[in-house]
Parts: sequence; structure tokens; C-alpha cells
Amino acid sequence: MKAQALVTAAILSGTTLAAQTIQNPTLRRAQQAFDNLDYRQALSGGRAALRERLSGFERSRAYELLGFTYSGMDSILKAVDAFKQVVLLEPERTLDPNRTSPKALSAFQVALTQVLVVRQLVVDSVTFVGGQGVVPVRYTVTQPARVVTRVVGGTGAASTSLRIDSTVANGQVNLRWPARLPNGDPVPAGNYTVIVEAAVGQNSFSTSQPIRVSHGTVDTVAHLTSLPGYAELPETEVPPKSWRPLGLALVYTGVALAGTSALSNGDLGSPSLREGGAIGAGIVLAGFIMTLKKPAPQAARGNILYNQLLREQIARRNAEIAQENTRRRQQVALTVAPVARPGGGR
Amino acid sequence: MRTERRKDGRALRAAVAGMVVLSVIPSFRLSAQHISIGPQVVFGDYREVSSDLQYRGSGIGAKATLEWKKFSADIVLSKVKYRPTSNGTATTEFDASEVDVRLRYYITGPVSGELGFINRKADPEFEAQSVGAVTAGAQMAYLLGPGVRMALHGGLMFGAKYSGGGTTSGLGALQLGLGLTVDALHRRVRVTGDYGFQRFSRKTDDGRGVLPAPIQQSLGRVGFAIAF
Repeated sequence: MKAQALVTAAILSGTTLAAQTIQNPTLRRAQQAFDNLDYRQALSGGRAALRERLSGFERSRAYELLGFTYSGMDSILKAVDAFKQVVLLEPERTLDPNRTSPKALSAFQVALTQVLVVRQLVVDSVTFVGGQGVVPVRYTVTQPARVVTRVVGGTGAASTSLRIDSTVANGQVNLRWPARLPNGDPVPAGNYTVIVEAAVGQNSFSTSQPIRVSHGTVDTVAHLTSLPGYAELPETEVPPKSWRPLGLALVYTGVALAGTSALSNGDLGSPSLREGGAIGAGIVLAGFIMTLKKPAPQAARGNILYNQLLREQIARRNAEIAQENTRRRQQVALTVAPVARPGGGR
Repeated sequence: MRTERRKDGRALRAAVAGMVVLSVIPSFRLSAQHISIGPQVVFGDYREVSSDLQYRGSGIGAKATLEWKKFSADIVLSKVKYRPTSNGTATTEFDASEVDVRLRYYITGPVSGELGFINRKADPEFEAQSVGAVTAGAQMAYLLGPGVRMALHGGLMFGAKYSGGGTTSGLGALQLGLGLTVDALHRRVRVTGDYGFQRFSRKTDDGRGVLPAPIQQSLGRVGFAIAF
């Protein structure tokens, strides 16, 4: 009883959207009967609807209704057959495990393993520098099969067909497409289609995903004017005020006057200190003024060497950036974006 | 005596001519060198033989400086009118014309070596001794502050020749000096102040034995110079 309620809920939720598009009255009556748990009426109604002219969507829903009805009636094999038709008609169809009875869900899973389809083909939107990135491609193949993945498209001389991968796979497959031509160049800009073809024995299936490849310029790197965290230091520094000028002026003057006295000839009387005193006084005055005056900035050798190293580092880094920019100007930025798919595979 | 005076005159004229040539050479051709030249007021004290022969005077002078790489040169001209002091026995004044040339080579730190000559001529020639000598010594210079330099120099004077004869022993002639240079007007003008002291331990022998006849001069010079 609980399972039936779950199935009913699944059908209700699943058909809420479908009810808007299901136009066939027989199918609608059959669904109504299923909603009322009248499986016999639902079964006969669903079969009758399949004999009528239905759209692909209605046909898929009719088989799905049969699958759920058979699951409710514990006819698992028939439910699997009905779900196989659903998968073939609508490969991307999935059932919500929270709203579907375990019986119907397991029947659907068994059906998936008994038909060969490629589902959930996804090409991620990505932007990268040509030759330095890949386009992620993934899909799920329901049976072990030889799967060939190709990209076709382009226009005129640029039309191309590139094989991305060829392998025997089962389950989810992840591919990485470098978006390069055989000669290594990036694929030209344009519209392409990623085609996945699976084949095992006489059975084959293919699905596709349109993509658009566009080209752009690669951003160049700006030149450096400074290194982060490193600032130039002042190349001059003002030494602390000192009494050295006055002291030296006194010493020099004292030496001159003392020398004059010492070197004077005693026979010529006491030496004349008038001339030396006048000039010495001027020197002492100059020394005193220089002592009071703010000292002149002096070259800071350590800072000069530091700044020199810093400038050399910036110049070296800018030379590397210039080389990098030259290389970047020859590159192309590829943007790959999936385009809305017109319909499922066949 | 006349020949010696002619030589002195030639040296003075050569020095003046050299200064004029240096001053008129366009500065753009001498970008590696610095020249300054300018007038000075001179005042001095002159003594000879004994404390009784003492003179004081003042006059004019000129100083030129040339700097090139580690070399520099000072050329100093002065003319001082010396008058006897009141406490002496001298009665006649005289003019002392002096040429002092010093070539300097920077050695290390504040020290430079000096080599040059000095020639002083007295007029009238019998009132005082004319003297000429080769000088050698050293200079210590120090930068007191931006544009303010002082220098102390000293040395010996060799081969001194006197107009009145006499000799001097090897260490008998000494000189000592002190100088100050202050840059002004964006280094276009330099205010200069110099002090120079000379002592010649001259000895004479007139046949009665060797007699000391020392000569001593203190000279102060203050002026300015135009720098190129």
C-alpha cells in the first residue's frame, strides 16, 4: 500500500508537467485510472493509447505508465520491457528515487542495463589559453560498448572532424578535450557538435551536444613599478647634530696659534697673534654656526645599495614580463560554451 | 742684485699671466676643474734680526685656486706696505711684494701633500730682506658644514735665498697656515680668510763670526673670490 502511494505520488509529480502536454484522451483516461489505483483499467487504457497516434512525449509517457502499472502489479519483466521503451524514447529520462517505489526504480535500472544508450552528455563551459587547458566532457553509457567521441563542425576551410576519444566503456566516462587541431593549433572559432557514438554488436546509439568555440586575446601582464612589500629607502640621511665642527675649529685654530707661538724666534720678541687670532676667530665662528645649523644630508650608502638591488630586481622582473607578454600576444584565449540541445539522441 | 730683482719680477709677471689665462678659459672646456679667483685685503706683522726691527702694515692681494681631480693649486699674490712700529728702532717703511705658489695633491682622508715656492721682494731693497725658497709640507682640510671648509697647513722652506746674504739650516725655515673658505651665492662666490706664518732662522757671517739674523712674518688675508 505504501509502495502504491509512492508510485502515485511519483506519477502525480511527474505528470503535473506532462498533463499540460498530454493531449490524447485515451492516455489521459488511463492515467486517471492509474491515479485511482485501477490498474486493470490503466493497463488497457495505456495499451489502447499506444495503438493510437501519439507524439514522442506522449508515447514515452504511455510506456512509463505501463511500467509503473506493471510494477504495481508485480509484473517486473513486463515493467522492465515498458521502461526499456521509455529509455529508448527518452534516454535522458530519470526517476526521482525519493518519489518512486523501489520496485519501479529497480525495474527502471534493469531496463537501463538492457538497452544501449548514451545519457547525460555534458560539456562544461570553460575558458583557457589555447594549448594550456582542456574542455571537460562527460557522459554515461548504459552498456559496455565501443564509444567514439568526436567533434565536428566549423565552416568552410575550417570545417573539421576531430576524434576526441575511442574506448570500450560502461558507466560514467570523463574526457578531457584540449581543443587543438592535429597540428597543435587551437580549433578555429565557430559552432561545433560533440558527438558520442556507442556501438555493441548490431546495436548502436549516438547523442550530441552543440558547443560554441570563441576566440579572445590573452591578457598581458602589467609591468612593475615596485615590488610588493618593498619600498625604496631615502638615499640621503641627515646625521645627528654634533659639536664636532666647533670642536675641530677650536682645535685647528689652537694648533695654528700655539704653533705660531712655539715657532716664533725668541730674539724677535713676543709673537704677533693679531693675524692668526683674526682668522682663527672667523673659523671658530664658522664652526659654531655650523654646529647650530642643521647638518647637511649625507649619502646613505646602505640605502643606495638597497635601492640599486631593488631597481635591478624590478628591471629583471619587467624583462621577464616583457618576454611573457610577447608570448601571450601570440596566444589565443578559447572559450567553449555548450549551446542548447535541440533534442535527445537516437 | 739687479739680476735677482729682474728674476723676481719675471716670476710675478708669469704668475699674474697664469691667473689671467686660467680665468679667461671658458668654463665649459674645464668641466672637470674648478677655478676661483678674487681680491683680498692683507694685513701683517714683519720682524727682522731683533725685536727692535718690527713693522706692521696692510695692503692688497689676490688669490687664485685651481682644482682638478686630486690636484689643486693656490696662487697668492700680496703687496703690503710695512710701517715701523712705535716701540721699535726702524724708521723707514717699505713695500713687501710676495708670490706664494702651492701645488697640492690629495693623499687620503683630510691629508694632502704640498709643494711650491715663495718669493718676497722688499722695496726699497735695503730696508728688508728679499727672500725666495722652495716649500714642502702637508695640509689637513675639514668640511665644517655645507660649503664651509677650513684647512691647516705647515711645512718647511728649503734653499732659502736672501738679498742680503746669509744661510738657513735645513729645518730653520718653517711656515704654518690656517685657512677658511665659505661658499656663497650658490657656490659662485667664495669668502676666503687665510693666515700665514713664516720664520726663517737666518744666519750671517760678516767675518766676525756667525750671527743670527732671523726673519719672521705673520700675514692675514681676507677677501672673496669668484668661482667658475
